[in-house]
Amino acid sequence: MRIAVYLGLALLAGPLAAQGQPQSPAQQAAARSRQELFRAKHVPREPGFRVFIVPDMEGMGSAVDIHEVIAGNEGERYRTLTSPDYWDRFRLLLTKEVNATIAGARLAGARSFVVNEGHGGNMFANVLPWELDTAAILVRGFPKPLVMITGLDSTFGTLMFTGAHANAGSLGVMAHNFAFDSFTVNGKPLNEVGINALMAGEMGVSVSLVSGDDVLIEETKRMIGSDFVPIITKRAVGRMAAITYSPARVRRMLQAGAAEAVRRERQGRIRPFTMERPYRVELKLRTSYPDSVVAGVAALTEFKLEKTGERSFRLVTDSAREMGYLLDAIEQVVLR
Amino acid sequence: MSALWLAAAWAGAIQAQAQAPAAAPPRDTTSPGAYFGVTEYQQARQKLELDTQDGGFTVYIVGDMEGLAAVVRNATEMRPVDRGGTPQHERFRQELTDEVNAVIAGARAAGATQFIVNEGHGGTLFRNILPEQLDPEAILIRGYPKPIVMSTGLNPKIDAMMIVGAHANAGSPGVISHSFAFDSFTVNGRQLNETGIVAFIGGEMGIPMVLAAGDDALTSETKEMLGPLETVTVKTVFSGSAAAGLSPARVHGLLRAAASRAVRRARAGELKPLVLEKPYHVRFCLRRGYVRDDWVRTTVGRLPGVGDGGTPGCFVFTTPSAEEVGNLLNEVEWTVLKP
Repeated sequence: MRIAVYLGLALLAGPLAAQGQPQSPAQQAAARSRQELFRAKHVPREPGFRVFIVPDMEGMGSAVDIHEVIAGNEGERYRTLTSPDYWDRFRLLLTKEVNATIAGARLAGARSFVVNEGHGGNMFANVLPWELDTAAILVRGFPKPLVMITGLDSTFGTLMFTGAHANAGSLGVMAHNFAFDSFTVNGKPLNEVGINALMAGEMGVSVSLVSGDDVLIEETKRMIGSDFVPIITKRAVGRMAAITYSPARVRRMLQAGAAEAVRRERQGRIRPFTMERPYRVELKLRTSYPDSVVAGVAALTEFKLEKTGERSFRLVTDSAREMGYLLDAIEQVVLR
Repeated sequence: MSALWLAAAWAGAIQAQAQAPAAAPPRDTTSPGAYFGVTEYQQARQKLELDTQDGGFTVYIVGDMEGLAAVVRNATEMRPVDRGGTPQHERFRQELTDEVNAVIAGARAAGATQFIVNEGHGGTLFRNILPEQLDPEAILIRGYPKPIVMSTGLNPKIDAMMIVGAHANAGSPGVISHSFAFDSFTVNGRQLNETGIVAFIGGEMGIPMVLAAGDDALTSETKEMLGPLETVTVKTVFSGSAAAGLSPARVHGLLRAAASRAVRRARAGELKPLVLEKPYHVRFCLRRGYVRDDWVRTTVGRLPGVGDGGTPGCFVFTTPSAEEVGNLLNEVEWTVLKP
């Protein structure tokens, strides 16, 4: 096992900042009802073939170092992990990757595009709204329900992940997985793409494109099958080093790949990712987290969580969406 | 490559700030092999090989910074604000990118078909080139730690190596001259600077170093070490931090022309790889600052295969593989970089 302690690489699983937790029962009830309201919302409906795009940053072309994907305002431990590169360069590169993906999908006939910020930098506000394709609807900010697929529903024709990163413990660039050292469903390890693919699969939506480093692509094929269009943006040669293609080349690959992805999807060649129910979800919180996090997760009452080890828990459920809400809740505990 | 150099200066600055006799933070004594990217040189080579063309002519370009046009001062020009430098560093990142692009353009004009660029400067932890400004056909290797920092991924399918922004050897009268963590580094008794070490690792695979650009100390010593190769002297040294430099625009023109000549001469078989007799007898002496550091000295002394060199801080290492030498360098580098 490789250890990447040297930069305290406690990556942004996603969510970062603490939202103050209401104290009184009345406040708690109000919060629950707000939560219900937000969970029931959907993004504006649009006609035509709909594409849902989740841009993350660690797997973008050229990105290799945490300083390139962190804004520094995500909480105390991230304050020194930013650099001008995040603000001046990589947000624009990210936005251009998304634009290329949209352009390709449009060429193949897609007509509606929702972009949901999948990266926690700057509190899920990395894409430059004024540079983004004007047809796109952008979901940004934090917290948001089912954080990486907020607003996804069965009206979407396909789901795409750009800039995704490899699973916790794997030898990928900035590899990590939400708040976990390991996460399995029915014994199968799932990375962030896999976890969201399962929730999407339950809605009948399939994953048609995944881009990221070579490690991410290989493991994702093992997890959810090889139906999707794989785009290797770089090859990992260290946790913070890679052999990378140029931004222009990555954009060309994304554009061609997204067109191919929509064609495959419209021809019915991509199956939604599903698993047998009930889902037996086993998760292990990161070793780097303090015990208070473990206690906080153990105290979550909304879910029928079973503590199975020092920092391991099990959830058995028939609903992948419930698993997603559990992830949201765990992130809130982590960041409290 | 000045990761060490900068890190040393940086650590010094931090120590100076923290004059109060606070307890030193515990030393990270994990072995280099425990960090992904320090020792996986074979894996990096296989991965880059996947992208290296079989036909055509592939050029591998190392971009360092001290030997760029106009660079004279380490503290202000060679590292970014978030690593203790100044905003001037940004301008030199652009200059680095421009010089690499000039070399690519020249090589392409002479028939080179593929370009692999490896970050050779530690100032921003090997993230100096501006990816969006680099020739879009180039493949870029960036980040740290990466296996054999300045030679990551070298493989026999590569046809020629070039280096821009190179600096002179430790002890040489050059601008910001240094060499990894060493005061001296020899193979079979032959002094090698950083450019020479890259040439040695690639040379074993049959790849010649065909172009080196930097100050006059660098170009003259490199010709002595490696024999015939194209050079571009971008500045004439007046002190470790002063030089008479050609304008950047003029340097770009010279680099284009020299890269073209270098590719033509390499294709004509005029430029030879550096091949030394095996096994390689490596002898290196750590920088004086590191020699005084008991922990660094002991740790380096305990690296696999490393023997006592007779003088404190000097070591010997014998191996039949140049890649192993690169790997050793890497572990030494990582050892001194750790807090």
